[in-house]
Amino acid sequence: MKCLLIASESAEVLFYWTDPEFLQNVQSQYEASQEDGQGLPAFEDSISTLFAPIIISCSTMVDMLEDSYASFTTENNHIYILHQFDECLYIAVNGDGEEGEGDLRRKIYVMKKMTEVLFGMVTLSSSLLRKELRPQDTEQRARLWKLLQSLLETYSHLRENDQSFLVEAVERLIHPTLCEQCIEFLERRLVQQLNSSAERAGEEVMHAFILVHTKLLAFYSSRNASALSTSDLLVLIIMAQNMYPSNTDVDDPNPEDVESTSGSGPDSFYTPEPSPTDRDSSSSGDKVRGGVPVFEFLDPDVQMAEDSLRTLEVPQPDPSTPRRVFLDVSLKDVLYPMMPHSMYCLPLWPGITLVLLTKIPTSAVAMSVYTFLEAFAKLEKRLSEGLEGSAATRGQRTIHDVRSKLDKFIKALGPSEIQSRQLQVDWTEFKSLAFTRGGPAFSKDLIASCRKMTTQLCGVYRQCFLLQSGSSDIPQRLSPGLQERAQSMVREKLMDWKDFLLVKSKRNITMVSYPVSRIIQLAVMPCDLTYLEDFPGLIHFICVDRSTGQMIAPSLNLTERNTSELGTGPLAHFIKRKVWSLVNTTRRYLQKGFSTVTLRDGDFYFCYFLWFENETGFKLEAGDIPVLPDDSAPIGMLAWDYYRKLLRYYSKNHQGEVVKCYELLTVHLGVIPAEIILQHCRQLASKLWEPSRNPLL
Amino acid sequence: MTELMLPDSRRCTYFFLYDGRRVKGEGDPTREGICYFYPEETPLDKQELLCGQLAGAGRCVSELSSSPVRVLRLRHNTFSIRMKDDFFWALGCSVEVSTASVCELLDQLINLFCFYNGSVRRSYQLNSQETLAGRWAWYLSHLQSGSLELHHIFSCLRTIDSTNIDPLLLLKAALILQACQRCPLVAAGCILFRGRVVSTQMSPDLTMKARRSNGPNTVSSTTVFLTTSELQYLQSAPVDKDFSSRTTPHKSTPTRKSRLSRTLSDTPSTESEPSDTGSSQSPQKVSSGPRSSCSSVLSPDPSHSFAEPPTQQLEPPLSNGKHSPEAEEEVLDESYYHSFHSNRDEAGQMHNEGDGSLFGENSHANGGGGDGDTACGTVFDFIGAEESHGDNVLQEVSRGVRGKVPGHSAEIPDPPRAAAFDHQGECPLVPMTLYLHRVKGLVLALLVEPHFLSDTESMEEVYHSSLASLNGLEAHLRSISPGAPGPPGPYIFAHFDCIQSTLTTNLSGRAGGAPERPFVRATSLLHSHFCNTETLQEAIIRSAGAAVYGTRSVAQETYFQQHGGSLRNSGIPNHQDSAFSLPGKARHRLLKHGVNLL
Repeated sequence: MKCLLIASESAEVLFYWTDPEFLQNVQSQYEASQEDGQGLPAFEDSISTLFAPIIISCSTMVDMLEDSYASFTTENNHIYILHQFDECLYIAVNGDGEEGEGDLRRKIYVMKKMTEVLFGMVTLSSSLLRKELRPQDTEQRARLWKLLQSLLETYSHLRENDQSFLVEAVERLIHPTLCEQCIEFLERRLVQQLNSSAERAGEEVMHAFILVHTKLLAFYSSRNASALSTSDLLVLIIMAQNMYPSNTDVDDPNPEDVESTSGSGPDSFYTPEPSPTDRDSSSSGDKVRGGVPVFEFLDPDVQMAEDSLRTLEVPQPDPSTPRRVFLDVSLKDVLYPMMPHSMYCLPLWPGITLVLLTKIPTSAVAMSVYTFLEAFAKLEKRLSEGLEGSAATRGQRTIHDVRSKLDKFIKALGPSEIQSRQLQVDWTEFKSLAFTRGGPAFSKDLIASCRKMTTQLCGVYRQCFLLQSGSSDIPQRLSPGLQERAQSMVREKLMDWKDFLLVKSKRNITMVSYPVSRIIQLAVMPCDLTYLEDFPGLIHFICVDRSTGQMIAPSLNLTERNTSELGTGPLAHFIKRKVWSLVNTTRRYLQKGFSTVTLRDGDFYFCYFLWFENETGFKLEAGDIPVLPDDSAPIGMLAWDYYRKLLRYYSKNHQGEVVKCYELLTVHLGVIPAEIILQHCRQLASKLWEPSRNPLL
Repeated sequence: MTELMLPDSRRCTYFFLYDGRRVKGEGDPTREGICYFYPEETPLDKQELLCGQLAGAGRCVSELSSSPVRVLRLRHNTFSIRMKDDFFWALGCSVEVSTASVCELLDQLINLFCFYNGSVRRSYQLNSQETLAGRWAWYLSHLQSGSLELHHIFSCLRTIDSTNIDPLLLLKAALILQACQRCPLVAAGCILFRGRVVSTQMSPDLTMKARRSNGPNTVSSTTVFLTTSELQYLQSAPVDKDFSSRTTPHKSTPTRKSRLSRTLSDTPSTESEPSDTGSSQSPQKVSSGPRSSCSSVLSPDPSHSFAEPPTQQLEPPLSNGKHSPEAEEEVLDESYYHSFHSNRDEAGQMHNEGDGSLFGENSHANGGGGDGDTACGTVFDFIGAEESHGDNVLQEVSRGVRGKVPGHSAEIPDPPRAAAFDHQGECPLVPMTLYLHRVKGLVLALLVEPHFLSDTESMEEVYHSSLASLNGLEAHLRSISPGAPGPPGPYIFAHFDCIQSTLTTNLSGRAGGAPERPFVRATSLLHSHFCNTETLQEAIIRSAGAAVYGTRSVAQETYFQQHGGSLRNSGIPNHQDSAFSLPGKARHRLLKHGVNLL
């Protein structure tokens, strides 16, 4: 029984997602109270009514006590996690024991991150975000919620099944030669050709990467691009997976599956009819497939709504329309969050996708808007802290600088289609309040005016980047022809590798395959050297380079028909469950400042290490790790980059040095003596990231 | 001894009891529902706000999940919640305190209240809100009274430092208790010295409740209420089964798996009594029907505790124990006979033996020093004083505790015997009597059958058979200077006995206790991990400043931290790392504390 709800302070539902059980539970509560002859209220209304007392109590608590609810746990172990971002209250519920508090909190933060990637700086204005999340037009609303729901489901599926989403780091396909070739191909052929084409309509490809399922085969960033953050990359992988779900769980995708996945183009977020294959009937545990929401609507009314939703899919949006995404950009050491990009997700074969990220011609506007927003936000913060006069503006670029720039900015907007009259009005008002004859008068009275400016600036941003293609002129995007050309170029390049890649992505490395370093070092692979033999008693490991956001782990193939080293069925599932819970456990200890953990649990021995190195591989002394409160943002890289903060914290004492951070998790048989286990860990730690490793991002 | 306490020594930041039944109507002000609010100086507006919001949001969540809320977390406070019977309890601690201990604290508090007052609903019908407020406040401060933070983490009993004490004294204490148990009306007992447990025959939970403050040197008694599972546990003890099982309602499943390791005469109990004997002998007891459906106050049956309106199906409860005085008397006679004819001599003998050996040895040890003399003097003074008006006291006590005896004035007035059965929604609580005999810092607490008080002979017997020994024990315990905290050792450990709920530690809580904070924090984390993961056997965790090893078995948990030796390391796996030698060191070092990890 799961649910995620976003509500405004007045208990208006801004978004919800539920699993069938929760839906049923809510409906049964209404059935009980409903008089005969009256139909059930719309689900959206039911859920709003049920949660309203909590939501309203929440804002009362904030207003009166400056405290608010963080969680509820009931005696039958239902968990409710609440978190407020500005004026939006997120509530995540679990009633089936499958998710803990940490998982739910993470889900909330991931949802928040998704809205940032989809709506950019509009999320900085609560009133605009509210309108964006809950469009007046019911059709539009249904379509948007459907998209968000399926993104959330894709994420949940990946978090529960994919190790890279478990530890929130990107997994690369380990095949150095092919990777290198592909990167070269992307750089020399693809991106160069695209960026020199006249059909690119002013867009410029900044990043290009090839995904095999969720794993990265090759990633190329153009020279003038800023690095793509791991957090953004992970969200983009979720979005790509959502558009083109891959059936990593089945061995031989049958033709029907292939059809259903390749048939759906970008921007179509309806539910494909689940094909009644034997897979569906046999694996009831894997009911929720990535990107395929399984809604068992029992009520005819709801079913009707569902049907009408389907008809809404027509006319289908043009598949060559890119998705607008907002990604972090750092230019000259200044971070500009949520800068507009276009994302082109081009399917090559089922399971293999080419993703292009382009910078759009007007993105400079976004940078200006961000600068202004930041200035107003800082001013508002200081004013509400009680600082007035010049103290309110200390430490930021002079307010006069902002003033002249904003004047110019508004003037420049003037002749364009963008409606900026209200911005102009509010700006004039702000100026008359702030810059009176006797010099700047920064007092508390200005707070309201600051907020108005924020809203107006966000509004302009919204017109520029969210509604832009709605107008009549030629859509700004790489032409469909150009997209097709790119697609076929890469297809051609990978044609011979396609089947290999699909298999490889499922067995990137396995416990019976060869240690990474050996692949690189030895031309002829000796067949007798494997992890199992090098490290007797080692069952599983995960190694993460947190500085680059990449991970390596043997594949856990649970549905493999041919036996893997872990066997199939219950044992493999058992190990998987252990690994998943181990990651949660170690995060809990890390949150409380413990960077080394060893556990003897049943028949297993688990180890976890986090350490720092400098660029040359010299191990740095373990430092203090900040102790965080229980309800702090989740430890990971997807929704909130904990490790970037940790590295910054640690680097304070290592000025002028590049500090790297690594994590190693191992699972051993409990009968192996601890000394041997620790030796294994040490060897793994040095072996996996030795200098001869893959060329990284 | 200064002890490591939380900065402001109050773990609890808020506690309130809110009665939803008093605020049914639309216009009823929230304040009507507030039965008790701590801290009492909180402005009424804020009290209303917290009670109203928390109770409202709590109800909403429990309706959504069809289950009462157990934990409610705010950004700055963790609240343990109990929703039962229209009552809403909330106890809030700062977020640093682990959730498990917040829940434990609330459970203890409610149980303590019910132990001394019986049903909460009934108590509020019988007593003024002010009286009960005083009691809540007292129980709350009692539960929070200064002890190591570690004690709170494990919610364990505070025991006397057994390493500092002649084991024979512990034996003597155990023997005193056994001697008292010879009287069949005595179910079980415990001996406390300055609030710390010396010896107990009761479950840790019960011992914790019986542990009350020191009073004047006197004998007193008070009515207490036991849950059926507690009662059953008591009666599963191998003492005079014939009698003590008399009031036990038949229950098929014992709720506690483990038993206290009793001192000497521990024999396996035969659990099953013929189930119908109780009902056939005293049919009126059948009226307490819901007993069997309620397992205990601690884990209320969800179907009872929530959403189900109580149905009036039982006859007025006052009938209990009043309808068949004959039956009671018969049993009484029998018990009387039994105790004084079959056990008496033996008891006396054992007693004398115990006394003799102890006193002999001890006078040796003391070398006839002043300490011993004064102790003896006091004892005899006391006896003299008691004898002059001893009969009086005993008589008064036997009339039932009505708060007239000086020693009783501080005691809680006796609620009607059947108070526990008045409300069907609650698990039945069975009234018993707690008999307390104080000798300065020493307290003998005995759980006795209520009619013990009317049985003058039994009372005198118990009183006189234990008086001398108690005086002697008190004198000896008092003469032992609390061992000065040794110099900070090269290691810290904490050893928790889960069965007896006792803690052994060399953590002294020296002023500040700063170097020990990391150990306490790590222990708290590991303890909750052990609680949540049944299969976890041992763990080593390390932060920049401290490496702590924790290990557990079915019966115990042990935590160990080695001081000194630089912890400088890179954090990368290294088998030569000192953190990984902790298990070996712990095994070696802790042997001398009587902790065997082999």
